[in-house]
Amino acid sequence: MNEELIRMEDLAKVYDTGALKVLGLKRVNLTIRRGEFVAVMGQSGSGKSTLMNILGCLDRPSLGHYYLDGTDVAGMSSDELSYIRNKKIGFVFQSFNLISRMSALGNVELPMTYAHISRREREKKAEELLRRVGLGKRIHHQPNELSGGQRQRVAIARALANDPPLLLADEPTGNLDTAASVEIMELFGQLHRDGATVVLVTHEEEVAAFTERIIRFRDGEIISDEPNDPHEPEICRRLERNTDFEPKEG
Amino acid sequence: MLIENMKMAFSAIRINKMRSFLTMLGIIIGIGSVISIVSIGDTMRAVFADLYKDVGLTQAYISVAYWLDDVRQSDYFNLDDMARINENFGDEISYINTDGGASSDAVYGRTKVKFNYSGIDYNYQDVQPVNMVYGRYFNESDIKGRRRCVVMDTDSARQLFGMENAVGKSFRTTIYGSTEDYTVIGIYRKKVSPLQAMLMGGSTGGSAFVPYTILVWPNDYFYSIRVFAREDVDLDDFFGRLKAYVARMKGRNPEDIYMETAQSEMAMVDKTMGGLSAAVGGIAAISLLVGGIGIMNIMLVSVTERTREIGIRKSLGARTRDIKIQFLTESAILSACGGVIGVLLGVSLVTAGSLIFNVRAVVRPSVVVLAVGFSAMVGVFFGLYPASKAAQKDPIEALRYE
Repeated sequence: MNEELIRMEDLAKVYDTGALKVLGLKRVNLTIRRGEFVAVMGQSGSGKSTLMNILGCLDRPSLGHYYLDGTDVAGMSSDELSYIRNKKIGFVFQSFNLISRMSALGNVELPMTYAHISRREREKKAEELLRRVGLGKRIHHQPNELSGGQRQRVAIARALANDPPLLLADEPTGNLDTAASVEIMELFGQLHRDGATVVLVTHEEEVAAFTERIIRFRDGEIISDEPNDPHEPEICRRLERNTDFEPKEG
Repeated sequence: MLIENMKMAFSAIRINKMRSFLTMLGIIIGIGSVISIVSIGDTMRAVFADLYKDVGLTQAYISVAYWLDDVRQSDYFNLDDMARINENFGDEISYINTDGGASSDAVYGRTKVKFNYSGIDYNYQDVQPVNMVYGRYFNESDIKGRRRCVVMDTDSARQLFGMENAVGKSFRTTIYGSTEDYTVIGIYRKKVSPLQAMLMGGSTGGSAFVPYTILVWPNDYFYSIRVFAREDVDLDDFFGRLKAYVARMKGRNPEDIYMETAQSEMAMVDKTMGGLSAAVGGIAAISLLVGGIGIMNIMLVSVTERTREIGIRKSLGARTRDIKIQFLTESAILSACGGVIGVLLGVSLVTAGSLIFNVRAVVRPSVVVLAVGFSAMVGVFFGLYPASKAAQKDPIEALRYE
């Protein structure tokens, strides 16, 4: 197996608005190995969202190559990209993006449905995943019956459904209070320790502090790429003193 | 995958119950009217078939055409003519009569009821079986002896005699100018559904059979002959030859002979029904078209509302085709549900009508299957545009949609 999960070579993204061409990404070169826990940081407009869309195969680069798990996805059709997203990428979004009319179980089953996995296997796997993220007792709840943190756990379970090599999280704690944020980040940490490759896009230093490598973007370029020592962040210490936060559900 | 799509479609319909129902309304009305009209047509056809089976499917009336200007004495029939026809076609005819009738007031005590009398032969029961409940039918000597006796149905008897037993009772009436007493020798039960009564024109008076010999003197002339062919006879061929024979007998061209058969009347009823069905079919088609446009409209709204869901699904690996099929399934199911409700509506309307008119409703299963299938097709057709609009959404834009 290839050590490198992600390799971007001279990757650029140009937005053609008709009147003028806007450079979203300029010649990005980036390699992420399997098992890494990476934060991509930057202010809005820095190009981190563009990078996230390309990393997630939601968008195609204008120039350059993007090798994901050994295949160059730069020139793929939209249906081929759908296949790649289904098999290779697990998304976790800021606003959870669960389908509101489906139960937690149904939401987790969805990627497996598109992978044509049999119903019985789907249900078994989805239940297992929900247990793993600590929602074993809430598998039949609708998203609106769950708290923000619980919803994000469902989303993480869903991201893990097809055992993708890459977990891609876009501001996963952006809509959560501090307690839930810490829970979610600890869950990501746990997944990372279990061997998952996690790429996190965020603008919050506290969130990035949980990761082992921080890549900073500005104006479509990487301005720094440094290893990080995941220490117990400041907010955690503050939370330890504050006892009345929501207990973790088992 | 199909099952998942159907489940999702049903849950989407359930969530917007009122909207879904209103959307289906066009389809419901369209399919409902198709089902009721086709079933009404089929029911009427069955009723007429029954009616003619009662009246005799092999029956025909024959006379020299009423539309001719030069009416001759020889255009009328006499009993000799009838005998000659019977002789010539004897083994093909099961019953032949003068089609004579009269109408007059029957008087019993202080009761006076208008009666229609039809003259029949003693073997009329062979072609028109009646269910005798009291007394007896005519026998040969009643006819030959020109006995003044009548056989009537229970309703007529009740009108004239009330609740009394009518058999053996006499009443006074005037037939062809001579007033005489007539004796009731038998009562039969006539089974007539209200619909049949309505179609035949609900007469208020009574009706009774009398020996035809009372209505026709041996040297009398009469206008038309009534014939029942045998069951095993090729009717078209037989009636053709009969017509030619009568024409020769009367010195007329075959096209100047008027012949009315039960068959041709039934064909006419069928044709009328066919025309009616076509007209209502057109209206139903318009209503289905309008219903289909309604479905397209609501599907477009639904696609816009669910832009984000489409984005989520795409990000999880749904291909263009998956999204398209999902929305097509939804519009097909929406429309088919309308079809099913329409069928239920149509069937219950027809059943209610059949209960009121006391006839057996005929609902062909093939029509039901076709109607539901067609409504699903309407859904697919009008769902194509919204579904492909949904499928072509860009996942990034769709995910950003609020």
